[in-house]
Amino acid sequence: MSLTDRIAQGLESGWKVTDGASLTGNLTTEADVVVVGTGAGGGTTAEILARNGLSVILVEEGRLYYQKDFKMDELTSYANLYQEGMSRVTRDGAIAILQGRCVGGSTTVNWTSSFRTPEATLNYWADQFGLDDLRPAAMAPWFNGREERHNVALWQVDPNVNNDILRQGCEKLGYSWKIIPRNVKGCWNLGYCGVGCPTNAKQGALMTTIPGALDNNARLFHSLRADKLVMNQDRIDHLQATAFASDGITPTGVTVTLKARHFVVAASAIGSPGLLLRSDIPDPHQRIGKRSFIHPVNASVAQMPQRVDPFYGAPQSIYSDEFNFRNGVDGPVGYKLEVPPLHPGMSSGVIPGHGETQINNMTGLPHMQSVIALLRDGFHPESPGGTVSLRDDGSPVLDYPVTDYLWTGLREAFHTMVEIQFAAGAEKVRLMHLDSNWYHTLADAKAAINRLPMEPHRVRLFTAHQMGGCGMGINPENSVVNSFGEHHHVSNLSVHDASVFPTSIGANPQLSVYALSARNSSRLANKLVN
Amino acid sequence: MHEPNPHNSRQSQFPDLDRRSFLKTGLGGALFLGTVSVTAGLSGCATRPAGRLSAVGTRMDASYQFRFLNRDDITLFEALLPAMIGPGLPEQPQARNIAIAGTIERIDAGILNFGPANQKELRRLFDLLNFGLTRVTIARVWSNWPNVTTTEADAFLERWRTSSIGLFNNGYIALTKVSNVAFYGHRDFWHLSGYPGPPKQAVDALPQFNNA
Ligand SMILES: Cc1cc2nc3c(=O)[nH]c(=O)nc-3n(C[C@H](O)[C@H](O)[C@H](O)COP(=O)(O)OP(=O)(O)OC[C@H]3O[C@@H](n4cnc5c(N)ncnc54)[C@H](O)[C@@H]3O)c2cc1C
Ligand code: SF4
Repeated sequence: MSLTDRIAQGLESGWKVTDGASLTGNLTTEADVVVVGTGAGGGTTAEILARNGLSVILVEEGRLYYQKDFKMDELTSYANLYQEGMSRVTRDGAIAILQGRCVGGSTTVNWTSSFRTPEATLNYWADQFGLDDLRPAAMAPWFNGREERHNVALWQVDPNVNNDILRQGCEKLGYSWKIIPRNVKGCWNLGYCGVGCPTNAKQGALMTTIPGALDNNARLFHSLRADKLVMNQDRIDHLQATAFASDGITPTGVTVTLKARHFVVAASAIGSPGLLLRSDIPDPHQRIGKRSFIHPVNASVAQMPQRVDPFYGAPQSIYSDEFNFRNGVDGPVGYKLEVPPLHPGMSSGVIPGHGETQINNMTGLPHMQSVIALLRDGFHPESPGGTVSLRDDGSPVLDYPVTDYLWTGLREAFHTMVEIQFAAGAEKVRLMHLDSNWYHTLADAKAAINRLPMEPHRVRLFTAHQMGGCGMGINPENSVVNSFGEHHHVSNLSVHDASVFPTSIGANPQLSVYALSARNSSRLANKLVN
Repeated sequence: MHEPNPHNSRQSQFPDLDRRSFLKTGLGGALFLGTVSVTAGLSGCATRPAGRLSAVGTRMDASYQFRFLNRDDITLFEALLPAMIGPGLPEQPQARNIAIAGTIERIDAGILNFGPANQKELRRLFDLLNFGLTRVTIARVWSNWPNVTTTEADAFLERWRTSSIGLFNNGYIALTKVSNVAFYGHRDFWHLSGYPGPPKQAVDALPQFNNA
């Protein structure tokens, strides 16, 4: 067997990795820096700090899963690798939230699309939030560096049929489309990125920055949840964390106390504001948890005459930005068009239905194609985002009211998606809406879209991109951290993850997180080393 | 997360209190799942299924231990799954029972990973459906679940799907999502969606599948 697993080798070679489940008594330990979360932001931070000779402790609430566990099985992966066993939703239940909970965070389950932050977004941040030092020219070297670190390149292989139909539809209608850059190395084009890459081809945190940090003496605790940052006067003194049993969910009662000079929170949107709220971090303007964004997603499926096999092949390889910035950066909401992979479990959970209708939907899976629209939320007064708050038990929950501004965009996106599918030869289409039938003509589909209520629950909404809640800005009255991720009020606290974005990104966010975390970690390393 | 939820402990200590507030909401027609919480003991009309042989009760292999679903919930899903999956279930009685029991086991296993908050929501939903009074007033299902026919179960699901009350749509999504994923996502039923499973060449070549 020529394959060699980076994680298995590292564990063999004596990496400092502690499974919280194995702890039998309370523990106190110390490092220069404690990093909470091991995803895009946390992994990047840990590697850069560790390479600069700082001692680093990584804390991850999920467990360490790697190649030996990645068997292309939906049910086990959803249960183990996703937040709340894939059942995370907004408080009212109307929006399904896909988010990772394992070492590597969402990058372990993401679909490998790697976009730079759109220039319009960076410029908007500069103009609206005073983030002048994040303008495109200033960020370019950081994107370059991260593209190299994660092996980002345009996908060279032909798109699978699922993606090609998006391309064909756009081509027929004269809409722009492009090939997606992916962070992979030796990808087998299998299509299982969402359940943990079985070949180690995906260059997410798990295959890059986490091993990089551990090679440089960082220590990783997994199955350990950061509960509370405890302040001593105006600085954080230590982090309190609790261990989970090997099922990943049952607290064992063991507490770990972690002391450090500096604390980096990278538990992502929802997670990071949650931790800051639990910790009563000074928040004079009540900004923590506010302006949380999600790229609300709606979807349409089509029945194609040809075989699509939407469960095989690189999940995302074609996109269209035709409608993303068409109305300017801050006009009526724009949306990016992409394609999701469709495996049977996911499809049966996403397509609303039961009984005979549902089995008929499912029987068509090999011929099923789907387009999704990702709405660019947060760039308009009528898109102020949602709010993260704490439940009675201290766990974070997101309220995300869908405003009329967004409903208008969602309806428009439905129109665009069915136009594209019919243009590419669809026999019939069905909206992810409780009241939708299959429509055999474009006219019928469009009439239905105009007629169907755009309401929570009835329109099936999703998010795989959680952002904001600890937004950046120069003004502490409307932000939580500055452009370096440094907390406005607590000098030894930084936030390095998707929660710092002051709006949504307008593109899949991982490269934005990698790049900004790399920039801010280099600065932090400098500060701490000197 | 840090301490036991005060509401929870109060509820389990004083079930009567809950019962009273629960009856009020139920009868008053104020349909907030959030205010309805019945302890398992209260709803315990777990009569042996009369109309239907319990698929779970007659499992050949009962090695799976349920950790979230109680007896009433199991009965509920035994009644719902024939409508939920419909013609997807095998017709041969024994195969059908095995399919139903296995799906309910996987529903239980899936919910375990949902974590405390969503488990609490589901507990409320299941209790509401299991408790006779709310089953009748809110779900408008007149018989005990063991006696509910597939047609009646389907009608109930349709009512909640088409209802203009978001809470019911939410209940519909919760019930169908856990059931559909546990059924269609399992290898035994992949053939129904024409999914051949993970590519064979990859399975043959990858070390994690090499059990030798
Ligand atoms: C299914 C899916 C597909 C996606 N596809 C793409 C894609 O193709 N391209 C793209 O750019 N983006 C994609 N994304 C999104 C992208 O992966 C995320 O935006 C990115 O990983 C966010 O980085 P982060 O560091 O903020 O958080 P994450 O990478 O999610 O890491 C946060 C980590 O913190 C941990 N954590 C949370 N709370 C605590 C706590 N209290 N204590 C300890 N640990 C905690 C979490 O378990 C998690 O591991 C996808 C996401 C999903 C879910
Ligand atoms: S397509 Fe397959 S091999 Fe390639 S990155 Fe995704 S899961 Fe890994």
